[in-house]
Amino acid sequence: MQQFFIVLCLVLMVLAGGAAVMFRSMLKSSISLAVASALLAAVLFLMGAYWASIFELSVCSGLITVVFVSAVSLTNTDRCSEVRVREHKARVAVLPAILIFAGAALLFILFNSDFNIVASATPASFSAFKEALWSLRQADILGQIIVILAGTFAVIVLFKERDNI
Amino acid sequence: MITFATISFLGLPLLAILLLNIVRKETGGTISINIGFVVSIIQMIAAVVCLSLLWLHGKDFIEFSLFWDMNATLGSARFSVDLFSLVVLFCIGMVSLASLLTAKKTIGAKALNYTNLLMVIMLGMNGIAVVTDLFSLYVFLEITGIASFVMIALLHDKRGLEGAFKYLVMSAIASALILGSLALIFTQTGSLVYGDVANALADWRNAQYAPLLVVAFVAFIAGFSIKAGIAPFHGWLPDAYQSAPASVSVLLGGIVTKMAGVYAIIRVLNSVFVSMPMINQTLLILGLISIVFGAVAACGQRDFKRILAYSSISQIGYIIIGIASGSLLGFVGAMLHFFNHATFKTTLFVNSAAVEAQTGTTDIDQLGGLQARMPVTAVSSILAFLSMAGIPPLAGFWSKLLIIIAVWQSASVAGGAIALAASIFTAAYFLILQRKVFFGPLEDHLTEITEAKGTISLAAVLLSIVTVAFGVLFPVILNFLHLQGIL
Repeated sequence: MQQFFIVLCLVLMVLAGGAAVMFRSMLKSSISLAVASALLAAVLFLMGAYWASIFELSVCSGLITVVFVSAVSLTNTDRCSEVRVREHKARVAVLPAILIFAGAALLFILFNSDFNIVASATPASFSAFKEALWSLRQADILGQIIVILAGTFAVIVLFKERDNI
Repeated sequence: MITFATISFLGLPLLAILLLNIVRKETGGTISINIGFVVSIIQMIAAVVCLSLLWLHGKDFIEFSLFWDMNATLGSARFSVDLFSLVVLFCIGMVSLASLLTAKKTIGAKALNYTNLLMVIMLGMNGIAVVTDLFSLYVFLEITGIASFVMIALLHDKRGLEGAFKYLVMSAIASALILGSLALIFTQTGSLVYGDVANALADWRNAQYAPLLVVAFVAFIAGFSIKAGIAPFHGWLPDAYQSAPASVSVLLGGIVTKMAGVYAIIRVLNSVFVSMPMINQTLLILGLISIVFGAVAACGQRDFKRILAYSSISQIGYIIIGIASGSLLGFVGAMLHFFNHATFKTTLFVNSAAVEAQTGTTDIDQLGGLQARMPVTAVSSILAFLSMAGIPPLAGFWSKLLIIIAVWQSASVAGGAIALAASIFTAAYFLILQRKVFFGPLEDHLTEITEAKGTISLAAVLLSIVTVAFGVLFPVILNFLHLQGIL
């Protein structure tokens, strides 16, 4: 059952990564990337790497997304339609290649290898996650709350107010 | 005391953000600045109260945790404040107050967003001051960085966006270096808590992958040097300071860069990398390069804020060489210069804000003779520059004296001599700026200029009083430190 969830998360992660390439809006791309990171964190968690899971969730899904969103807001997104069409075609061509490659890799791991996908002997449990996040990483939870606030203010200042100028 | 520290340094700014976003947008501007005043004043009072409690109870530090588990002591759940972190927490409150006083006259319709971001930056900096875990330190560094580059771009002007983008790019490089270093440390030591890592590194030469720890150390120093704007990692700093709105420049120049870079370096080196080789030599070289480069480069600038930016690079060098001396005297000197630099550099940025608000420019070639029209700004600027140049009896003299003696005593006579000689360049750019802006004949287009009244002048006066009082009372403070066995 655990293997099924791991594979499901990996497939969804590849899809989210593909969506990040496909989206025209850089903001949506950033959010897709954050979803992909969150799914990777879930995989790490299911495999028993709690600390890595928390770091992945904190850094890649949280901090890096905010940095991307802020960077997007500082970038000029007005481009001519021809460039957009050309880039869209390029993305359409890239996505199937990514999906085929990722799918082949997953199938190889599942059916043709001695590699044990569940690396940790320790079973994943909610209490372990809660203990790690709630008791050991208090400062990071507070940090995440503030990062969300900072990201919200960044969007308000750099996106919403720009439209009013 | 534990609850008091938690509420004052972490709870109050969060509560302020909640309050700020409840008030109506139409009336939010003035109210938000006032809420900011309350938070920063309470932070200063809380830091003084905690310092007094430390002294009364004879403790070296206070430990505390967050609201949902006040007794947590493991991992990143443990926060700690000691003498140094309380001094910087006081500085954060003081500089935030000066920035708010400047913003009240200059920020206009952006007051609500400005105060929201200021509260986020305060939380980020307070976090840096109180955490005891390397990853938490990184998280709070990022919070400070994110809020800083949004603040630089607050007015949406081209210069601000360019400055913010440079800061963002350089900050991202620094973050990558620091994060890479953390990963290496974690793989080699199995922990990121300051004390645990320090214990694991005590015998680093016998570690299985000792060279990886050296790489981690180098990446750490490089990452934090970028954040601190130490030469030759300073590329982003002058542009960011120059292009930011006046009140944001006050904040960046007064405290943010020092917290994100200098404080983090001092804290981590003293708590984690104590046993690593060549720390003091590396820092001494970086510090001396910063002192000389910043001072020489400042002499060639033609913009008030840009001169102050290069001056910051130079003054940060003094703090770094104080730490590099490796002695208690040097550490105390560095800590005091941290406080003094926060005071006089904030004064000077408030002065530049006053000049910009009244004349519309910070180009020193377009200014001249302003001391007759803006006497409060001129006098406070002179006091701050005299303190920065290390002229007795002002505060900057004492901290520089302690640092140079400490470097001299640490068998680096050449280092002490270079630091002393660089003060000549400090005096040079001080004289250039004063002559160009405040002295000489009054320019024709400035005859109608008046003093920047209200809160900007109030900030300059208050900070000048601190500079003079701290300098005059310094022998008493030194004696107190001696009696307490700290020095």
